[in-house]
Amino acid sequence: MSIIAFPIRTPRYGGPVVTEAVAFDDDQETDVETVAARLVAGDETAVEEVYDRWSALVHTFALRALGDAHDAEDVTQQVFVAAWHSRHTLTPSPAALPAWLIGIARHKIADVRAARARDARKAEAALAVDGVGLAAEQSADHDVAERLVVRQVVQDLPDPRKTILFLAFWEEQSHAEIAEATGLPLGTVKSHVRRGLIHIQQQLEGVRRESR
Amino acid sequence: MSHAELDDLAGIALHDDDVPADVQAHIDSCQRCSEAVAAFVAARALAGAGPLVDAPAHVRDEVLAGLRGSRDTAAAEAPPAPIPLPVAPVVPLAATSTRRGVAPWLAGLAAAVALLAGLGIGRLTGGADPAPEAVDPTPETVVGVADLTALDSDAPRGVADAVEQGDTMTVRVSAEELGDDAGVHEVWLINVDGKRMVSIGLLPSGDKGQFEVPMDLIEKGYRIVDISIEPDDGDPAHSGVSLARGELA
Repeated sequence: MSIIAFPIRTPRYGGPVVTEAVAFDDDQETDVETVAARLVAGDETAVEEVYDRWSALVHTFALRALGDAHDAEDVTQQVFVAAWHSRHTLTPSPAALPAWLIGIARHKIADVRAARARDARKAEAALAVDGVGLAAEQSADHDVAERLVVRQVVQDLPDPRKTILFLAFWEEQSHAEIAEATGLPLGTVKSHVRRGLIHIQQQLEGVRRESR
Repeated sequence: MSHAELDDLAGIALHDDDVPADVQAHIDSCQRCSEAVAAFVAARALAGAGPLVDAPAHVRDEVLAGLRGSRDTAAAEAPPAPIPLPVAPVVPLAATSTRRGVAPWLAGLAAAVALLAGLGIGRLTGGADPAPEAVDPTPETVVGVADLTALDSDAPRGVADAVEQGDTMTVRVSAEELGDDAGVHEVWLINVDGKRMVSIGLLPSGDKGQFEVPMDLIEKGYRIVDISIEPDDGDPAHSGVSLARGELA
């Protein structure tokens, strides 16, 4: 008889069972893929994790696109409830979740704009939403969404890379200034900035690929 | 020469001056590498967005309430599950302690059944019984089969399968060589996400049993069959000692 003891008297039947049953690494992308898979499988607890990780991205996107706090809150709520109901359409991959959520948000934002146009009974505005105005707004939205994705990608990086990238790309500091501020060798700072930029570009590519 | 390294391409995009001259020369003459540099420049230009703004806490509550609403509706429409089974990550103590209270009684029954097994009555409670199939025309579909093995070796410990028949899902366990340590054998389904598990019942005869489970449990990823040995200590949690395990596939 073979018995393997594992400490399971934890509040959530946590980690040790995981390591016994399935091998996981701590890789962020694997986490994202796992939570996406759980969402697709109908696990409601996955919604909470997805919400906690991406609601700020969706909310900020809606806020920028609509310029109204109340509408942005409504859109955020609708996006995550819609995400739950249409979870079967999600193909789990590392970049798919944010791309998919942003795609849903685009639709909800368009709905709000259409409703605004109707409410104002402005036939011209309604026409504009269907035509040229819509294209311009969507192009602007696309840019806003990508900028917010980059912000989140950098925020999610471990330090010191996160701090170095914020200093380099947000504060526009030179590599020498960053080396001075952080006490890291110049070569290390350069390397972090390059690797960080490569990571940003790859994440953007992933989101774009999934948005098609 | 070969294409430039990503590191150098990013370096060029960042106007670093320490990219070797021959690499720079290649990039200038290579469309693919030039495009890669342009993509890095574009990505760099997208940095600078202000901080993400969290939605107010009530939005989160409304989202979760929205999900619960849809689930309650679904539950009201669906037929009642054959066996009430807590599927929450944390098994409510009150719910399971009732079940636990029955355990010694079940253990007694198990012993009685074991005695009667020689008379051929054992099959009423254990193993797959072919008789109902003969009278029930509803076809059964095996949705998953698991070879059970010990955890510290690949030593075989029997088989389990999940069978769908009409609107019932049954997990059938036929274990062997679980040893004879004191305690009852409890069957669990561990989710493949490794984070959740539910108990689906006790093996009444010690090594064979079938358990009706909610239809969507397997679909939700609860596919790893685990058999534990449980002391009579009133603790509803898994004892931490698994005798056998296998994934329904």
